[in-house]
Amino acid sequence: MTGAQDIYIQLESVSKAYRVAGQAIPIFSNLDLAIPRGDFVAVMGPSGSGKSTLLNMLAGIDRPDAGRVRIGTHHLDQMGEAARGSWRAHHMGIVFQFYNLLPMLTAAENVELPLLLKPVSARERRLRVERVLDLVGLSGRERHYPGMMSGGQQQRVGIARAIVADPGLLLCDEPTGDLDRASADDVLDMLQTLNQVLGKTILMVTHDPQAARRAKRTLHLDKGVFIEESRAAE
Amino acid sequence: MTFLDLARRNALRKPLRAMLLMVCIAMAFLIYGLTTSFLDGAQGASAASEDILGVTSAGGRTQALPMASLAALSAIPDVAGVAYVTRLRGFVEVEKNVVAVSAADMPRLMDVNGKGLGLTPALLQAMEVARDRVLVGRALADAQGWAVGQRVAITAFNVTGQDGGRDWRFEIAGIFEGETASTDTYFMIARYDYVNAMRARGRDTVDAFVVRPSAQVSPAVLAARIDAQFANSASPTRTQSEKQFLEAFLRQYADVGLLVNLVVGAAFITLLMIVVNTMIFAIRERTFEIGVLKTLGFSRSHIVTLILVETSFIFLLGGGIGLLLAWLAAQVAGPELGLVFSSMVLIKGVAIMAGLSLATGALPAIAALRIPVINAFRTR
Repeated sequence: MTGAQDIYIQLESVSKAYRVAGQAIPIFSNLDLAIPRGDFVAVMGPSGSGKSTLLNMLAGIDRPDAGRVRIGTHHLDQMGEAARGSWRAHHMGIVFQFYNLLPMLTAAENVELPLLLKPVSARERRLRVERVLDLVGLSGRERHYPGMMSGGQQQRVGIARAIVADPGLLLCDEPTGDLDRASADDVLDMLQTLNQVLGKTILMVTHDPQAARRAKRTLHLDKGVFIEESRAAE
Repeated sequence: MTFLDLARRNALRKPLRAMLLMVCIAMAFLIYGLTTSFLDGAQGASAASEDILGVTSAGGRTQALPMASLAALSAIPDVAGVAYVTRLRGFVEVEKNVVAVSAADMPRLMDVNGKGLGLTPALLQAMEVARDRVLVGRALADAQGWAVGQRVAITAFNVTGQDGGRDWRFEIAGIFEGETASTDTYFMIARYDYVNAMRARGRDTVDAFVVRPSAQVSPAVLAARIDAQFANSASPTRTQSEKQFLEAFLRQYADVGLLVNLVVGAAFITLLMIVVNTMIFAIRERTFEIGVLKTLGFSRSHIVTLILVETSFIFLLGGGIGLLLAWLAAQVAGPELGLVFSSMVLIKGVAIMAGLSLATGALPAIAALRIPVINAFRTR
């Protein structure tokens, strides 16, 4: 059990619906979720179950219609767009399924992007970029453009970009969905290291049961409701 | 990497498109640079003084005024100095090689407008050596390849000498530079006493008096006072500032300023539409990436700044090239073709660049701001 003060991510009675052609399509209704700091949680579920909407709300790029979304001491549901943007820049990293690197920037420049939003000197930025690229095994590839790299390597750049500003929370949207098994295992090894060694709290949305098994626990979402929870040891 | 680098990379990510945009902008600013340099150049009106008054016959510039008016003019209150000029237009060797000679009393001209023309005591002294000496303007000397000491012959269009011929021979005593680069120096100054003595008709008349007002009076007030003084005389006058005089002279042919403004305006409006259209498409193509940047924490002001810097980069580079080409053209052609690329042309050009880059960047920037991140991700 975790005490209320240890809960890092908390959703309370969150409801969300989208309007399509004038009709409200409910995604969640009174959804609750509590994740302690340092946890590694996988969220699985069929398409349309609400996984992406959950991730978007935790990233502060979508807002609930009702209920509360708290991460650390920040109540995202009460923050404006600018404040949520600033929060993302300082407290959250995100890893996308299709990497979403900017094609005209090198690996090092893509990784450096989040640091442009922080009061960090150019020298410090360069050192941090070198350090995280080394951490994800891409030393020597700093000047390579995304188009010159494999999918696995691009995803490693994506992970380096997500952690370079040292956020407490890492959100991963199908991080292995576009990778072969070997590359996927590399990426999952990396996420486990980030969780176990650096203490990052990770929430990973995935369809891949093998990827989910790397998490400490897996939540199964269906039609906007958590129907099952399994732990790695089980 | 800095924000500037990021904007620059965005601007140059499609090199052909960026290059064509820059060529388009460069052409517009080349047109601007050339036309405004033309206005500032030998057209001379912009460099002409508003403080020096020209007194001509009310019947038109082709009618002379009697030298006898000099005393009456000098006696008018607040007239600080008076010079007089008679003009001789002709050609050198071939008829299309037209030159103008202003015959003046040198000490009086020095007193009234010596500073504006760049006359020096040494030049004045050189003119005293002989009556047939002339001072040649820098632009005219360079265009004709003339040097000090050289003798030149001018065939006048309408001023005949006492021998019935139209050939006038002068010796170049010196070259005057003009106060600024935009001062008209495409003419020469001869001695009035020489031209007056040698001409067959119109002796002791002048084409214009040049008046320097005292500091206590506005030129417009004095101009009205002069015209009132001569209104009921045998030789009524029309008094204008040098600038008004030149502008009126040019308007005989066309309103050059209006034409230039219309051409430049049309070029810039066309440019604005092309660049706005292209930038909107360029930003729309990058909707997804803007969503990614917003997800990373880039604020609305960051995104707007990036887009404005991107358009500014394209404008400054393209416009800079255009102005550089205009400057080079002005250097090669020189003032004799009426091109003077003054610092004001440059300052106005940079201001137009800044204004246009903000105007063209604003629309795509606003469009980018309105895209919610969720919708941006759906565009992939």
